[in-house]
Amino acid sequence: MKVKWIIQPPIYMVMLLLLTSCWNSRELNDMAIVTGIGIDKAPNSDEYRVTFQIVNPSATATSVGASTGQPPITVYTTTDRTLFGALRKTSRKAARQLFFAHTQLLIIGESMAKSGINGLFDVFERSHELRLNSVVIVSRETDAASVLKILLPIESIPAMAVVKKNKNTAKLWGENRAISVFELINTITGEGEPVISGVQIYGDLDKGSKKSHLEQSQVEAVISLSGLAVFKEGKLKGWLDGPEARGTMWVQNKLEQTSINIDSEKEQDSIAVIINHSKTKVKVNLREGVPVFHIYIKEEGSINEIKDFVDISQRKELYKLEKEIALKTKGEVVKSLQVAQSMECDIFNFGNELKRTDPKAWKTVKKNWVSLFAKGELDVHVEAYIRSTGMRSKPYQQNEE
Amino acid sequence: MMSISSSLTDNLDQLRERLGNSPDIIIRKFTLMSAQIQVAAIYVEGLIEKAVVEEFVGHMMSIDSFDGKHPEIISAKDIFAFMKEKARNVSEEKIIKDWDVLFEALFSGNTILLIDGIGEAIRGNTSGGEVRSVTEATTQVAIRGSKESFTESLGTNLSLVRRKIKSPNLWIETMKIGDVTQTNVSLMYIHGIVNDKALQALKKKLQAIDVDAILESGYIEQLIEENVFSPFPTLYNTERPDSVAGNILEGRVAIFVDGTPFVLIAPTSFFMFFHAVEDYYQRFDISTFIRLLRFMCLIISLFGPAVFIAALNFHQEMIPTSLLINLASQREGVPFPAFIEALMMEVTFEIIREAGIRMPSPIGQTVSIIGGLVLGQAAVQAGIISPAMVIVVSLTGISSFATPAFNMALSIRILRFTIMFVAAFMGLYGISILLFILIAHMCSLRSLGFPYMSPLGPFIAENHRDSIIRVPLKFMSKRPRLVNQKNITRMAVDKGKRGDSDES
Repeated sequence: MKVKWIIQPPIYMVMLLLLTSCWNSRELNDMAIVTGIGIDKAPNSDEYRVTFQIVNPSATATSVGASTGQPPITVYTTTDRTLFGALRKTSRKAARQLFFAHTQLLIIGESMAKSGINGLFDVFERSHELRLNSVVIVSRETDAASVLKILLPIESIPAMAVVKKNKNTAKLWGENRAISVFELINTITGEGEPVISGVQIYGDLDKGSKKSHLEQSQVEAVISLSGLAVFKEGKLKGWLDGPEARGTMWVQNKLEQTSINIDSEKEQDSIAVIINHSKTKVKVNLREGVPVFHIYIKEEGSINEIKDFVDISQRKELYKLEKEIALKTKGEVVKSLQVAQSMECDIFNFGNELKRTDPKAWKTVKKNWVSLFAKGELDVHVEAYIRSTGMRSKPYQQNEE
Repeated sequence: MMSISSSLTDNLDQLRERLGNSPDIIIRKFTLMSAQIQVAAIYVEGLIEKAVVEEFVGHMMSIDSFDGKHPEIISAKDIFAFMKEKARNVSEEKIIKDWDVLFEALFSGNTILLIDGIGEAIRGNTSGGEVRSVTEATTQVAIRGSKESFTESLGTNLSLVRRKIKSPNLWIETMKIGDVTQTNVSLMYIHGIVNDKALQALKKKLQAIDVDAILESGYIEQLIEENVFSPFPTLYNTERPDSVAGNILEGRVAIFVDGTPFVLIAPTSFFMFFHAVEDYYQRFDISTFIRLLRFMCLIISLFGPAVFIAALNFHQEMIPTSLLINLASQREGVPFPAFIEALMMEVTFEIIREAGIRMPSPIGQTVSIIGGLVLGQAAVQAGIISPAMVIVVSLTGISSFATPAFNMALSIRILRFTIMFVAAFMGLYGISILLFILIAHMCSLRSLGFPYMSPLGPFIAENHRDSIIRVPLKFMSKRPRLVNQKNITRMAVDKGKRGDSDES
């Protein structure tokens, strides 16, 4: 009996290691970390052409072993009628099992976007291998695979670089915002239409996918955020750029910071104001069957640059500038609203707002909301405040008069 | 029991025979001039203080002077009576009639006087000899606080505490344990504060010990602890007199064992093992911070490698992307699974630690060089171990040394391997299961009948003033409950009034 007590525990322990218990244990060396997935439409067929950007760990900057001279990422492309099929089919090409928990970026090719994206995302919710917090981006005037192939300086993993670019510009410039798969699914299932940031490749695609192009100060190809893709019923309808895109962010209350140029009395766009706090409230109601969109924006900013002379030590001058900011903001907001109305795309979730605040009224307009949205009246109010004039008050250029 | 015979030669023969003619037993024979009676002084070399023996013997023999001061003493009986009288003046006199008592006295450093014709012996305490002097504590170092530590001498040790607590209520009870070694074991407590139930339980347990030898307090600890197969120690040991003083003032009992500087304290709680005496000497904010740090170290040293293995093998999605890529690039080319890698490093660390302790101190330096440089750096460069693993293992190793109680640190180290093992095949799920089992087990532990996890389980809000954190001394006006039941106030909250039931 005593011997049994001594022998049994070690035997069980060894058995635990050898038997089935480690079924989902996976070593880091046995998996390929996918950082980006690109989905294109295979030409002349219904199949998806899925591209995976995979980290090459031995070539990243922190590698201890001898440098292999390989690029930090490698790309595999597979076609299949389902996304998951493509994921698994890639095993024929990849030496390690693809690992999707760290997928940062999901790029939808323009061709794919045009033919409809609504059916794409089921696998992200259903499969435990994929994640819902990947950032979604639409490639503009190019296919998703090309974007994933470009090597970028500074950030060694391009997919992470694109995500960071998106978040960075969303924070500082405010024409784009990072939308995750989760948010996108929520928008698709809601009453509104989604807008997704776009990326564009500037430069030579072939040279950009070679490591040698990183060995110069100005690289051959750059991925740049470019506009907002507007979808209607899951299909790419058009693009919003510049002020229209920023106006959209303003209405959606997603603007974190931006910089706008306002006119002084003499010169156009000569004063740069940074908006570092902005809050938007939206109210939608029906007036004789036609929706009215009330938008209240409150923004605060500080002056960061003045090209000619404005005596900002005078309070009335500041009031003038504040009015100017409000005017400029209103202009952008109205422009974005008008563009959306002309596309008949409720990208601002006004439908949801009406449904939430006045469900009865919503029922009456639900069926022809799209056309009603296009006809809706605008009521935009902007309050702008200048909270600071930077580190000096009067500009050093004195007034010549 | 054999009694002493009246013939000196018989007695001495018997003595030699029973002690196997050991050369350290010194027998000095005298013949008293005045009465022509033989007297023998017996002592053990090394256990006695030579000068005291000389004085004692000289004093006893002062009967035998040339000037014939005591002409009336002519018989052995008279000599015995005289010596008995004299012995009272020198040291605590005792008459021995029995061999067993004689031997015990002899080996405690007494000098025994045997007189021819008298069936009784006189003993005089002449104990002394070489003992280690009081030195600085080596295992429980404190920056601030008393520098002295216990020695191997029981008497010195008791006096070190007595010097700190000058109260008549500081009581000491001594008993002999060990059939062969006859080791003196002393219980020290403060009458009126000590928990009587615990004291009685402890005495009962000590009296029940029937073993041939007690060579260190560890013997006592292992013989009286309740949960022999638990990985956690339930008795605290210390070599610091101030720690003993603090603990008996909280109502605990200290067990001194002759021949070791390590004093046991019971009953204990789990948190005691993470307290250092210095916590009470430094200001409360610093002490609290350091205590929290220690508990953090406990968590790191228990779960560090295990969580790393679990995250690496099962929960890669929990690791931030850039860190994961970093780790992946480090593990590129490492041929072993993470668990084997961690196990190798941990075992190596244990070997270095053990070798460092056992190795003669002049070559101790070599171990650290070989261990740190060759195994750490070279293993990484050779691509056998990933650098992150070295960081995790060394952090764990250092953390385990931040536990003030060394026996607790050892337990944690053993548990760490178990947790690593579980993490390797069940991930965080396994770790949490094992944690549940551990906590349940710890809550079931008792130290002398007192819940080991108090004041957490059972929850005693008041005692949390001195468990994981330490509040300012001003607010620590109560002794720990459970341990202490009748005399709980230790501080005058309002001067003059000292709590509820101070007298006992």
